[in-house]
Amino acid sequence: MLVIVKSGPDTADGKRGVKLAQDMAADLFLIQNGVYFAQGERLEGFCGNTYALKEDLKLRGIKDAEIRKGIRETGYDSLVDLMADNDKVAGMF
Amino acid sequence: MSKIAMILRKAPYGDINAAEAVRHAMGGAADELAVSLLLVDGGVLLARKGQDDAGTGFTNLEGALKDCIDMGVEVYADKGSLTELQVETGDVVDGVKIVAGAEIAETVKEAKTTMIF
Amino acid sequence: MGKIFTLLLSTSPYSYENTVTAVRIAESALTKGHTVNLIASGDGVYCFLQRQKAKGIANAEEEFSRLIQKGLKVYL
Repeated sequence: MLVIVKSGPDTADGKRGVKLAQDMAADLFLIQNGVYFAQGERLEGFCGNTYALKEDLKLRGIKDAEIRKGIRETGYDSLVDLMADNDKVAGMF
Repeated sequence: MSKIAMILRKAPYGDINAAEAVRHAMGGAADELAVSLLLVDGGVLLARKGQDDAGTGFTNLEGALKDCIDMGVEVYADKGSLTELQVETGDVVDGVKIVAGAEIAETVKEAKTTMIF
Repeated sequence: MGKIFTLLLSTSPYSYENTVTAVRIAESALTKGHTVNLIASGDGVYCFLQRQKAKGIANAEEEFSRLIQKGLKVYL
C-alpha cells in the first residue's frame, strides 16, 4: 500500500498521513509541502519505503544533504509506477 | 508614511498565499507605503535560499522576496518558527531580519493596517 | 497492461499546487499507456473554464486541453 502526503509537517493533514502510513505499514510518497518531512529526523522510526518528489524538493530549496538517509528522490514517472503497482493508494493527505 | 503589516503563515508553493503576500507587498512598496512582511509558522520557509523553479512553471518566490527587499519592504522571520521548521540562519535569504515573537507583535501593533495570508 | 487512474480534483486552479500535481501525474500516466480519468468536483470545475489568462503559474485551461488531446477523460 502507498500513502501520498502533500501537506507539510506543520499541518494536521501531513501528520495524519504519515501516522496512517506508519500504522498501516505502508510506503510513503512525499510531494508538494509534504517533502519537508524528508528533512533531518522528521521520519525517524518510520519503517516503510519512503520516496520524495525531486522537483518539489528543488522548488523549495531543500538540499540533498538535509534529506534523511534512505529516502529516495524520484520523479513523477516513479510516482505513477508506484501508483500502478500498489494494490491500494491512499491520499493525498 | 502609512504603515502596513503583512503576515504570511503558509509555506510557499503548496498554496497561493506566499505568492499573493509578496505580490501585495510589492504593490504596497510601489505605492510608497511602509510595508513590513512578517514570516511566521510555515511562512518562514519562503525565506529559504536555493529555491529552483526550473521546469515547474512556478514563479520563483525566493527571487520575488529579494525583489521585495530591494523595493524597501522590511522582511522579518520569526526565530521560533525557523527553529521549529529546521531552517538554519545561514539558509535564510540575505536581508531578512530574524526576530523574536515580541518584535513581530510590536510591528503588528505599530502598523495601521494588517493583512493576513 | 495499462491500469486505470482516476484522479479527483476539487480545488480551484490557482490557489493550490494541486492543479500542477494532477497535470503531471496525468501526463506521466498517459505517456506510460494508462487510462486516466479526472473527476472535477467543487471548485475543481473552474480548472476547465475557457479564456483563462493565468501567467507565472501553469495555465490550467492550456494544460488540461493538451492532456485531453492525449486521451485524458474529464468528468465535471
